[in-house]
Amino acid sequence: MDPGNLPQLPRPATEPWRNLSLPRRIARNLGHGDWPLLIGSLLLTAFVGALLVSVIWSVLEAGFKAMSWQFISQNNVYITPTTSLDFGGVGHAVLGTVLIVGLATVITVPLGVLVAVYLTETREKPRNTVRTLVQAMSGLPSVVSGLFIYSALIVGLHIHYGGWLGSLALIPLMLPTVTRVAEEALRLVPMELRNGALALGAPAYRAFLQVTMPAAKSGLITALILGIARVIGETAPLLLTVNYANNTVFDMSQPMASLPTYIFQYLGGSYDTALARAWGAALIVLVLVAVLFTAARLVSRGKRARKRKSAAKA
Amino acid sequence: MTENAHLQAKDVNVWFGERHVLRNVNLTFPANQVTALIGPSGCGKSTFLRTLNRMHELIPSAGFAGEVLLDGKDIYEPTMDPTQVRLNIGMVFQKPNPFPTMSIKENVLSGLRLSKKKSDNAEELVETSLRRASIWNEVKDRLNDPALSLSGGQQQRLCIARSLAMNPEVLLMDEPCSALDPGSTRRVEETILELSPTMTIVIVTHNMQQAQRISDQTAFFLAEDGNPGRVVEFGETEAVFNQPIDPRTNDYVNGHFG
Repeated sequence: MDPGNLPQLPRPATEPWRNLSLPRRIARNLGHGDWPLLIGSLLLTAFVGALLVSVIWSVLEAGFKAMSWQFISQNNVYITPTTSLDFGGVGHAVLGTVLIVGLATVITVPLGVLVAVYLTETREKPRNTVRTLVQAMSGLPSVVSGLFIYSALIVGLHIHYGGWLGSLALIPLMLPTVTRVAEEALRLVPMELRNGALALGAPAYRAFLQVTMPAAKSGLITALILGIARVIGETAPLLLTVNYANNTVFDMSQPMASLPTYIFQYLGGSYDTALARAWGAALIVLVLVAVLFTAARLVSRGKRARKRKSAAKA
Repeated sequence: MTENAHLQAKDVNVWFGERHVLRNVNLTFPANQVTALIGPSGCGKSTFLRTLNRMHELIPSAGFAGEVLLDGKDIYEPTMDPTQVRLNIGMVFQKPNPFPTMSIKENVLSGLRLSKKKSDNAEELVETSLRRASIWNEVKDRLNDPALSLSGGQQQRLCIARSLAMNPEVLLMDEPCSALDPGSTRRVEETILELSPTMTIVIVTHNMQQAQRISDQTAFFLAEDGNPGRVVEFGETEAVFNQPIDPRTNDYVNGHFG
């Protein structure tokens, strides 16, 4: 009974269904009542797909007119709505978006993960209230978040417009997304792993840091990326708190540009060159978000691929 | 028997919420002997096992009264740190639970890292622990592979090795073979028999033959008609299975109910 010595059987050369056309191959797997459902879902898919393609195509087509290395790298000093597309660009706005969203991320992600830890790893009574409050924040209109910072800090305390105020306004928008995704990631870690660590004599915090958190790593990275994607296109809170600048600004206590406010600035104009600038900036936001989502998919798939690999070995 | 008691439960009572699930359990576990806890599902034997290293405290509504003496010292004394208790009393679970983000070797050493202890010779500790869990020969060439690349039975023996690396005085096992095939079960049982001369072992099992094969003494737990679970019979395994005093033990070990 040594399976190692059994001869391998050759795979049959003809697998009949391989020669069928695609519709027939689909039909082969369908039951009687499945046809209306199939047609219905195909129609709806086509409808949503058409919408999506139309949006992406508009942004691509109009955005490419403005696209060049100079458009990505230069700033907006001395540029008017009628200036040729050969001059000026969104470099200062990309920098502004990276700084503002970056600062918001540095504050929100640890905070959101801590809230998620509180929700999943403790047995505190108020945690359902906390969860409800955090999720209620996801219904907060972004303009209200901006208005709050505006009225409390800019009007109330006479603080000057600045990039860091924009980051503050983005925090309540980002927090619910980060918390929810992180909470789900931590909840997926089996209780047996936590128990295994605790039964070895580990204090709870070390069990979390060395067992639970590494096991949830890809989910936590997804929380980070989805949080960024949630706020990268926010316009209203930044208009109210950061104001605007045409030059390249590194100082976050000063007004600075960002991609959404740049789009807002040029979308109002009626000149083709101004509109092309707005579309170009929109294309850059789209690409940034696409890159972030792809990264999120790759990170989570990376884990599954490793699992498959180890399963194959076993 | 009481003189060389290594671990001793005195009047252990457990509640979940208002429900009384274990009533006045008194058991003595002599040094270097294997004790099997048997009984139908829901009789509280797993719960009792978890009171022996304070793991039941992780269940939010659990309440406890009584004493558990390790070498004569109550592990429930207010000054006792549960993490210290668990360093001395290791546990192996029903479902193999190796840490998925760690390699085989890292899993063996994980207890040290988790309790921030240093090992003088990590390589040697990995080898002795894996040898004691009788899995060394299967994994010695791939110590850096992910722990999940092992089969279920190997994973369970890795979990045993992980506990042994902490050098506990007592090893608690909660149905360690219930998720394993007969071949893996046999190997885990052999491991238990090899460990027993040097370690006090308490094992919960649903398998009567297993209890007879590996244990020196057996305790039969029963919870009747919604009453809290309690020990109906406790003694030498031979006696509990062949000349049980209580008729309910006789019915259970002979497969008349449960």
